[in-house]
Amino acid sequence: MKHWTRWFPPALALALLLLSVYPLWATGYGIRVMLQLFMWIALAQSWNLISGLTGYVSFGHVAFFGMGSYATAILVVKGVAWPLAAVGGGVMAVVLAFVIGWPCLRLKGPYFAIAMLGLNEVLRVMASYFEGLTGGGLGLSLPTLDASVRIYYAMGLVAVAVTGLTYLIVTSRFGLRLMTIREDEVAAEAMGINTFRYKIYAFLLSAAAPGIVGGLAARDMGYIEPISVFPLVTTITMIVMVLFGGKGTIWGPVLGAVILFTFQELVWAHFPHAHQVLLGAIIVTVVLVMPRGILGVLQQKYNLPRTV
Amino acid sequence: MAAILQVRNLVKRFGGVTAVNRVSLSLEAGKIYGLIGPNGSGKTTLFNCITGIEASDSGAVGFKGRRIDGLKPHQIFHRGIGRTFQIIRVFPELTALENLLVVTTGDFAPARQRAEELLRFVKLEALADEYAGNLSYGQQKLVEFIRVLMTDPELILLDEPAAGVNRTLLNELLEAVKALRDRGKTIFLVEHDMKVVMGLCETVFVLDHGEKLAEGPPGVIQADERVIEAYFGR
Repeated sequence: MKHWTRWFPPALALALLLLSVYPLWATGYGIRVMLQLFMWIALAQSWNLISGLTGYVSFGHVAFFGMGSYATAILVVKGVAWPLAAVGGGVMAVVLAFVIGWPCLRLKGPYFAIAMLGLNEVLRVMASYFEGLTGGGLGLSLPTLDASVRIYYAMGLVAVAVTGLTYLIVTSRFGLRLMTIREDEVAAEAMGINTFRYKIYAFLLSAAAPGIVGGLAARDMGYIEPISVFPLVTTITMIVMVLFGGKGTIWGPVLGAVILFTFQELVWAHFPHAHQVLLGAIIVTVVLVMPRGILGVLQQKYNLPRTV
Repeated sequence: MAAILQVRNLVKRFGGVTAVNRVSLSLEAGKIYGLIGPNGSGKTTLFNCITGIEASDSGAVGFKGRRIDGLKPHQIFHRGIGRTFQIIRVFPELTALENLLVVTTGDFAPARQRAEELLRFVKLEALADEYAGNLSYGQQKLVEFIRVLMTDPELILLDEPAAGVNRTLLNELLEAVKALRDRGKTIFLVEHDMKVVMGLCETVFVLDHGEKLAEGPPGVIQADERVIEAYFGR
């Protein structure tokens, strides 16, 4: 497997180069597809930061996406430029993560997962209720603007940034400490690791990108409503992508997002009702056959470093 | 010499069970202490109360003259108390080397150097990059033991260090414990293997039903009627 590590960096550089010039000849449809892929990479990678590394499963990660969507849409309607508004969406998502994480991450065990599931439902209802700010069930329309190519680059930048961040974290002592929480939280505490603080750090980091891409997606769609930005299935898709690719790894979420998104575009689009059934089937298969995901299995088999 | 660890009237209840009942004991720096007692006598619970993993119901724990009861486990660790567990608690999906590095703070290079020294010391240097979960029981036990040495704590609590370790390995481990003592460290160990306890410890505490039954040099404890009764019945 040695030659692997030699051709990987140039291959990655080539892929990034191709993606950065892709809009020069791409169709509008192609750009929309690719920016969605970038969005899924950013979402899966973010979920991996909290749940793949610390083992604290977030069943409501789409809450940050929705928060970012609404914050961005409201700012854009008020006249703020969309890139700045999307950053504002990221900030609001991090604030939300702090508000929910501060009480919930003090507890060890499954309480956090359940709280996150509830959070998403509460936010969706609140978005419907506060009509003055959010437009309620009617949703919010953003001023029309053709910014697909710019959103393509923005989404790509976020996907690259989260993946880069994951690389830095996984190869550092900070990342090892996050993993000790997943491995054995009591032992981590007894070995001097302030697990609450590390869980909060990971959670805040994992909320930023979903907030930003939520804002970018809102700008891209031009119209948002509670059910379109808080769907549970988005969280489930993030989870499946990470489990499939390999949780706790750097490239697993990217791999999972690319494979599942491609599959979705090619096959599921023709069988819309099979979508959820297939997601469920993949979860069951992955959990039973390869709980570590594709990269996890390869790592174990060849004893590869975590960075591969 | 002043006591490094002082436990006063410590009580810990689980529902109707009093796991630790008004236990008082005092450890002096630079000695090896043993803690024995039948199963369920409260040894591990006492360790958990000292290290903050369980919150005691009443009583006090003092370390180097300052109270530590009520502190979080990670705070107590940074005051200078390290421990191992009765059931192995290495981080299985971290490599042996990472298991050691993760507990360190400050500069990385000296930490890595120390980790490699310790791995050589227990002859595991060839397995440094192996996931800890893939190591054998005894090897994991060694990793856990040297992990506690990474930050050089002044007081080390060992919960059954000899259990499941073969004789050759055990002798090395015991030599290591003595070497630590000679460097001024204080060791407090729970152990069922009486040979280990009697050969190593300067003072032995006996717990029974959560209460301190006896305290003294190994020879005296071995002859104590009450201790024999606690283990074997009347």
